[in-house]
Amino acid sequence: MNRQTINSEPINIILAGVGGQGLVLLTDMLCEAGHRAGYDVKSNDVVGLSQRGGKVWGSVRLGQKVHSPNVRKGEADFILALEPLEGLRWQSYLKSGGKLFVSTSEIYPVFAISEQSKYPHDLENHVRPDIVFIKHDILSLSLKLGTVKVTNVMMMGLLANHLDISSQIWESVIRETVPEKFVDENIKAFELGKSL
Amino acid sequence: MDKIIKMMTGNQAVARGFYEAGGHVAASYPGSPTVEMLETIKHNYPNIYAEFSVNEKVALEVGIGSSMAGARSLVSMKHVGVNVAADPLMTFTETKTKGGFLLMSGDDPGMASSQNEQDNRILAKFANMPIFDPSDSQEAKDYTKLGLLISERYETPVMLRITSRICHSRTKVVLSQPEVVPITGFQSSPTDYGMIPPNTFDKQYHMKTRIEHLEKDLEALGVNDYTHIEGAEVLIITSGLPYHNLKELSAPVSIFKLGIVFPLPMSQLRELSKAYKQVIVIEEMMPFIEDQLKLAGIPCEGKKYFSFTGELDVSDIEKGLMNAGVIMQSLHEGQQDNAVMGRLPMFCSGCPHRPVFDILKKSKKTVVGDIGCYSMGILYPLEVLDTIISMGASLGMIKGMKKAQRLAGNNDPLISVIGDGTFYHSGMTGLMNLLHQYDPTDNMTILILNNGTTAMTGGQPNASSSAYSDGSDMRVDLTKLIETMGFDRIRVVDQFNYKEAKRTIDEEIKHEGLSIVITTRPCALKYKIKEPNFYVDPKVCIGCRSCVKTNCPPIHMKAYTGIEKLKSSIDASMCVGCSVCSQVCPVGAIKRREVTRHE
Repeated sequence: MNRQTINSEPINIILAGVGGQGLVLLTDMLCEAGHRAGYDVKSNDVVGLSQRGGKVWGSVRLGQKVHSPNVRKGEADFILALEPLEGLRWQSYLKSGGKLFVSTSEIYPVFAISEQSKYPHDLENHVRPDIVFIKHDILSLSLKLGTVKVTNVMMMGLLANHLDISSQIWESVIRETVPEKFVDENIKAFELGKSL
Repeated sequence: MDKIIKMMTGNQAVARGFYEAGGHVAASYPGSPTVEMLETIKHNYPNIYAEFSVNEKVALEVGIGSSMAGARSLVSMKHVGVNVAADPLMTFTETKTKGGFLLMSGDDPGMASSQNEQDNRILAKFANMPIFDPSDSQEAKDYTKLGLLISERYETPVMLRITSRICHSRTKVVLSQPEVVPITGFQSSPTDYGMIPPNTFDKQYHMKTRIEHLEKDLEALGVNDYTHIEGAEVLIITSGLPYHNLKELSAPVSIFKLGIVFPLPMSQLRELSKAYKQVIVIEEMMPFIEDQLKLAGIPCEGKKYFSFTGELDVSDIEKGLMNAGVIMQSLHEGQQDNAVMGRLPMFCSGCPHRPVFDILKKSKKTVVGDIGCYSMGILYPLEVLDTIISMGASLGMIKGMKKAQRLAGNNDPLISVIGDGTFYHSGMTGLMNLLHQYDPTDNMTILILNNGTTAMTGGQPNASSSAYSDGSDMRVDLTKLIETMGFDRIRVVDQFNYKEAKRTIDEEIKHEGLSIVITTRPCALKYKIKEPNFYVDPKVCIGCRSCVKTNCPPIHMKAYTGIEKLKSSIDASMCVGCSVCSQVCPVGAIKRREVTRHE
């Protein structure tokens, strides 16, 4: 496994999705895990229209010393896209060889609903050739756990395989962040994400 | 004891700073990007009195009162909120501040969620207030505490100018123990607090001299930071997030980072600048620092290289410094954006605004809009609203528009749309004003969408929320209130009864006079619909797209196997069961499940 260590250049992560998918909570948990693992951490997220079907995105940077919370185009190591079109939207932020993780369930923007534009179902044909593209049907896997609300944490599990942060830290962050009655399903979702 | 370090957003850090400073009273009106600050105080620090007031002017007045009573006070709002609060602010600033008074203004360079991009540093300088400009969460906390001290020491209100990026960005914060600060109480002193002439005359000198005193003390305060690079020919003066973005570039420059952007340490900067060939100011929005330096005769450049609008990200700063000849070439290999379909915000699944805007779209009338979630009714594909200006403006504007059109011989129906939160905030006065020189044949329809919450900012309670028992302590009956104001034609309608709602709204639009329609369904995000969700029977669907046109997130046309034409479909994981699509369907193809299923 290609883990990145604390002594290298900052690790740049972009999170992208649609309002209501739990992106702010995801950013929060990533930051907290990075902080507990000893990284300097800075993050950003664009909120405001966050629950209303608009595009939302955030960035998390982990390193020895981080100045700006912003990630420049072409400098992200990872993108976690909770929706395919949002993955495509942000892929220009990935560096060559960077990894694009996509949850494949589609949420139609108004232009697709109104049939003004066609939703690009052929994701592979639009992905940059110089990046690593990893897609999973996260929604179906979440539904198998009995809920639609753990897709964000399952995506975090996917990412966790590539970060030098211990299982104990991830688990404690999940426990302390999500409401108590949802802790078990979130931990299951995280583990399932890691196993993909 | 080990230092306790936490990750915090700027908003959380300001709340923490107020707590550590022994803060007493906090008031706000919710508006992005500062909403989370007061929510954090309410949630984490219950000993502080905190409220979301009815509007920003009232919030500021609550803060004035508590400050006069000797309590440490924090008032927060989004940048445009300060316009609403400007009247009390411009006079309060004349008085000698007693309990520390901090005004947190959330500015929004780039307008991520705002109707304009005003630079509130200008407003604070206009009000003779010192301005702190934090660059991360640690500074947001530190400047909150220092701001309150400065407020008391120099007897001045202080602005904590914070940008949306800093409000929402998480960085590390070192925690400290809270101070215990006594509340000194109010002492009557009419010449100090009764702001009419002649009491105001000496206050003009107070405002001037307090800023001069602070300017002299700036170096000793240590809030500004100078990093000298040996051999550098360029001095950059900057503050806020642009400082950290600049640091990403490792440019061969000395940096003077300001923590306070008004007043500036002019004599220090004048001396320092002499040692450099070039002085460049990097600041977002207006040339605020640059203009002050130029007025003081310090040669510098700024907006010549950097945009007057939007944020200044790392790439913008790099480009500006290349144009200024400071950086020779970019080491950054940028990637081209690829064209991807846009994603506009839209009403949530189950949103009670959906049927109202479907009805209004079909009416094809001029609609004067207002500020709230329903502002999205101006966007594609609804395109129902014709105007959006400011909180409550629709009710003043509709009158001017009506009177002007009647002068030109036109009495076509005009409609205003406003939510309950915005109505209480500043719509009520506009509504009352409609009764002035009222002509009973003026055709105006006022739609008040009473959804029981301030929805756009995350669902804060407002004056009519108690009907939905969400903990609000105000129990305003909107219909009775409007009756009492003197209006007699008021219709109350459940918009999830689509046909009835359409008939009512259409009748009132036709009515040659003034009528008010109040809708009753609450916000679907705040008060979940507990009915089973819907599905489309593709064998019944005729593909007419009546449901699609309501513009609901889960509904779109789909190719079913074995069926030639596209038919409607509902994504089960997103449908919450409001029933509006099933009511606009002409053939009964959309059916409710027995129990909610998500696949």
